[in-house]
Amino acid sequence: MASKYMLSTLNISISEAATPPICSSCHRLMEPGEHGVEFLCPNCGKAVIRRCKRCRQLGVPYVCPNCGFRGP
Amino acid sequence: MSEEEKPDTGEEKPISMLPGEKVVELLIPLEDYLTAGVHIGTHICTKFMEPFVYRVRSDGLYILDARKIDERVRVAAKFLARYEPSKIAVVSVRQYGFRPVTKMCEYVGCKPFTGRFIPGTFTNPSLAWYFEPDVVVVTDPRADAQAIKEAAEVGVPVVAFADTDNKTEFVDLVIPGNNKGRKSLALLYWLLTRQILRERGVIPPNGDLPEKPADFETKL
Repeated sequence: MASKYMLSTLNISISEAATPPICSSCHRLMEPGEHGVEFLCPNCGKAVIRRCKRCRQLGVPYVCPNCGFRGP
Repeated sequence: MSEEEKPDTGEEKPISMLPGEKVVELLIPLEDYLTAGVHIGTHICTKFMEPFVYRVRSDGLYILDARKIDERVRVAAKFLARYEPSKIAVVSVRQYGFRPVTKMCEYVGCKPFTGRFIPGTFTNPSLAWYFEPDVVVVTDPRADAQAIKEAAEVGVPVVAFADTDNKTEFVDLVIPGNNKGRKSLALLYWLLTRQILRERGVIPPNGDLPEKPADFETKL
């Protein structure tokens, strides 16, 4: 008989490690609160394009990994 | 989709062809683009706009590539058609853009911002005219700098009509084109409107707007 003091097994859900947002142009981490932008590829609408503030300001090109569309 | 797979609609398709190049189907005949002066740039060219330049005339005037304009109008229409119409903000500080923007908003259902862009429109919720857009379309990145600045601050994508002398800072999708001409702006907005409605399925893939590009022109 199991003692009432016995450690019970609990199913603790471990949250999945969140993938940090990475800029599609410079492939660097985007800081929280940074004035970056996130949108679906203008051409195919499948891949998510993320641009950090610096790349937006400098007009660094981004390439869609799905369709190869090159912006801006 | 290859040429063989395309359904034959029976109508003549506008094409642009140079020797040794593949046939490119345009939204409207090339002559219409040239007549409206959509391809005419300025005497200045920024690094941002170099990829869209076709050639430099002997007098130093930069000429935009009509095929790239056509391609970008299609891409921008696809992009804008994915958003809720009421969440699209279309901005024009330029006078020649007033009527095209208003007309586009009538057809598409988006929100026009013509004339002076009051600071805080996208950023200050305490204002009565505060608007929270999902995407912003601007006529001229230089004239509409305040709208772009605020869109960058709130983190919404910006689509811009840009001439050869424009910087595309904080612009996420450039539509190259002459954004100074009355006829040019009318044609660009007319094309964009028609293509958005085609993408949404409001009009058939070969359908047309009830109005002509001339009706989008600002009256003198």
